[in-house]
Amino acid sequence: MSSPKILVIGGGPAGLEAARSAAELGGEVILLEKRDRLGGAPDREGYAKLTHHWRDASEVIGNLVNAVVSNPHIQVKCQAEVKKASGSAGNFTIEVESNEITETIHAGAVIIATGFQHFDPGRATQYYNYYSFPDVITLTDLEKMLKDHHVVRPSNGQPPKRIAFIQCVGSRDRQLGNEYCSKVCCGVASKQAVELREQLPDSKVMIFYIDMRMYGYWENEIYWVAQEKYKVNYVKGVISEVLKKGDQLLIRGEDTTMGRPMEVTMDMVVLSVGMEPSAGTRTMAQLFGIKQNKYGFIEAGGENGIDPVATSVPGIFVVGAAAGPADLDDAISSAGLAAARAVALTRRMRV
Amino acid sequence: MTVKYEKAVAIEKESVIVDGVDISGPWNRMFEQRVIFEYTPERIEEIASIPGAESFAYCYQCAKCVPVCPVDVVGNYGPRKLYRYVQTGMDLSQAPELWLCTTCANCLRVCPKEVNMVHIMPAVREQAILDGKFVPPELQQAFENTAKFGNPLGQPQRKRDAWVSKAGVPVPIIKDVGRPVAVLWYVGSYPSYHPRGMDAACAAARIFNALGIDFAILGKEEKDDGDSQRLAGEKGLFEALAEYNIATFNKYEWDEMVVTGPHELNAFKKVYPQYGFRRPVVHYTTFLVRYLDRLKPLLKYPVNKKVTFHDPCYLGRHDGEYEAPRRLLEAIPGLELVEMGRNRENGYCCGGGGGGMWLDSFTTNHTTMRLSEKRVMEAAATGADVLAVCCPFEVSRFEDAVKSTGNDHLLVRDILELLDASMRGSP
Repeated sequence: MSSPKILVIGGGPAGLEAARSAAELGGEVILLEKRDRLGGAPDREGYAKLTHHWRDASEVIGNLVNAVVSNPHIQVKCQAEVKKASGSAGNFTIEVESNEITETIHAGAVIIATGFQHFDPGRATQYYNYYSFPDVITLTDLEKMLKDHHVVRPSNGQPPKRIAFIQCVGSRDRQLGNEYCSKVCCGVASKQAVELREQLPDSKVMIFYIDMRMYGYWENEIYWVAQEKYKVNYVKGVISEVLKKGDQLLIRGEDTTMGRPMEVTMDMVVLSVGMEPSAGTRTMAQLFGIKQNKYGFIEAGGENGIDPVATSVPGIFVVGAAAGPADLDDAISSAGLAAARAVALTRRMRV
Repeated sequence: MTVKYEKAVAIEKESVIVDGVDISGPWNRMFEQRVIFEYTPERIEEIASIPGAESFAYCYQCAKCVPVCPVDVVGNYGPRKLYRYVQTGMDLSQAPELWLCTTCANCLRVCPKEVNMVHIMPAVREQAILDGKFVPPELQQAFENTAKFGNPLGQPQRKRDAWVSKAGVPVPIIKDVGRPVAVLWYVGSYPSYHPRGMDAACAAARIFNALGIDFAILGKEEKDDGDSQRLAGEKGLFEALAEYNIATFNKYEWDEMVVTGPHELNAFKKVYPQYGFRRPVVHYTTFLVRYLDRLKPLLKYPVNKKVTFHDPCYLGRHDGEYEAPRRLLEAIPGLELVEMGRNRENGYCCGGGGGGMWLDSFTTNHTTMRLSEKRVMEAAATGADVLAVCCPFEVSRFEDAVKSTGNDHLLVRDILELLDASMRGSP
């Protein structure tokens, strides 16, 4: 007597944790990943430190990956993409293409962990000039530099002395269609600001914001540390435009608590880009016929509206940032819940 | 329109000519640069690097401090604003703002980040003084008086106990007593020298006598506690006084020290311990409340007045004593106690703390009215006949403010004077 398998789609933190938890609960898991390696966005984008206790991202994600690949009840397929899906709870049939070979997988439950992608700053309505000025970069660009301990201005290879973060790029914006808060950028920007001050102690680091959304322990673990210990300067009033001034950048905005306009030169400007549904998330929603919200994320909530992993199709669960902006601990906790739900479902379907 | 500046000064232009017309004047600060061209986080770091001033860098701009800042009520001030001014270019060590804080601690009471102006301001002022920056002349005068005469009023040391002759009761000098006493009464500079302070001192002497308290004063050996000078930035002067006072206190045997003023209480109870002095010290209100049972039968004459009480910052917020003064007032027959809107933990500062006692003219140039005037107006609004106080700084401050705000009907009385009046039946 054996239960149907559980299919996890996406090998980022949420997918890894869902696979590991489901296997630990006694499920047989198949984990699909489009890239040639596991790890998801933290691996792909080369995250340096995590906002969680300043832990090294490669180490933490590496631990997640090791727990999955060493588990005999998880079958990992990389470079694998779902092409077709049909069936219902307990009995899904999924066509997967891997290395030009198509195979059919039968699964009792499906967990979608296809995550997010960063907002493309070229779409911003403000005049930030990401694609025109080399020294205007994003959080992800800076993250890579921090990981390499080589933070320099792309224009001249010199370490920047004056760095500004601009918050809410691509988030909380009706015109862009992203009305939601991306939830993590305030914490990530502050974390990077601390790392900048560690790596470039002579630099001036300023964060321009609409509101700082440092929920829970981020307040004392990141925000207060950045301000009090690392003297990162926060200014309320987001920047409206980035212009060129000589070989520097001129940022213009309103300093709202002073009620005065500001025009300050910077060596480097970091755009705190938010989250959007990844292409994979959109595709999976369509293939499985799951309801998406108006932003393209997979709609979660279930019957009572408070189930963070239930989708509109019974037997299909969503975890992590595929359901909307999520931090790592959101991803991990939703993954554990989905694993429990999926194992329970497949147990009922024993054949 | 053409605007021509001559001799550019950052804030105020000495000479401004618009369309050929000279419009120079103190109001021309409208020409202050509007656009922020530079942020100066290094100035925040500079301040935060001064020992004691670290928390200046903690401000996250919630602004809870501003509405409770007594200086902001009559001007434009508060820790949140100072942080932003410094972040946008102000050199606090040379700005008038350096001298406006009275260290009343109402901002600290509400601050979620524990930005502690009571520590920050003295530290930055001390640094400014050490660096030879501008010090308001009237404050400088108080420092010099204290250094030269042992009191900020500039009165001779030999006259420190001259008031004793007016008390009409024995006021033993500890040197002459020649035996241990129960209470060493530290009178303080203003009760020793200021005419209205002496009234309170005489009243205290009569009350102590009537209660049969075994007390003595230091007489000519007493010198100023120096705490307000410390808060105004003169730590060196404070330390010299502390050293002298501690040695003097230790010369004699006594069980407990009673102080007339909350600033002295702060000095001896909170700061002198860092210099090795650890003895019991209480404010006279806390002390007298213990004797209420004995005191009440002595209060024979009704004081048929409506009285409102002003909480001294250094008795209330700094030391947590709100009840003793009120219990003493309520013990007086006929007296009706009414509260001002801002009382107890949220009491409004009289402006005298942190060196403000010696900065009245300077502060007036940067505020719309004196803090003492604002407070007197609040007291008058309660319909009270009497504004009761228990800090020797306050009587003279409020009596001036009563006159300048046209509230002459409002009497300012130390609680000691009211108790004495009820004992003796004289106003």
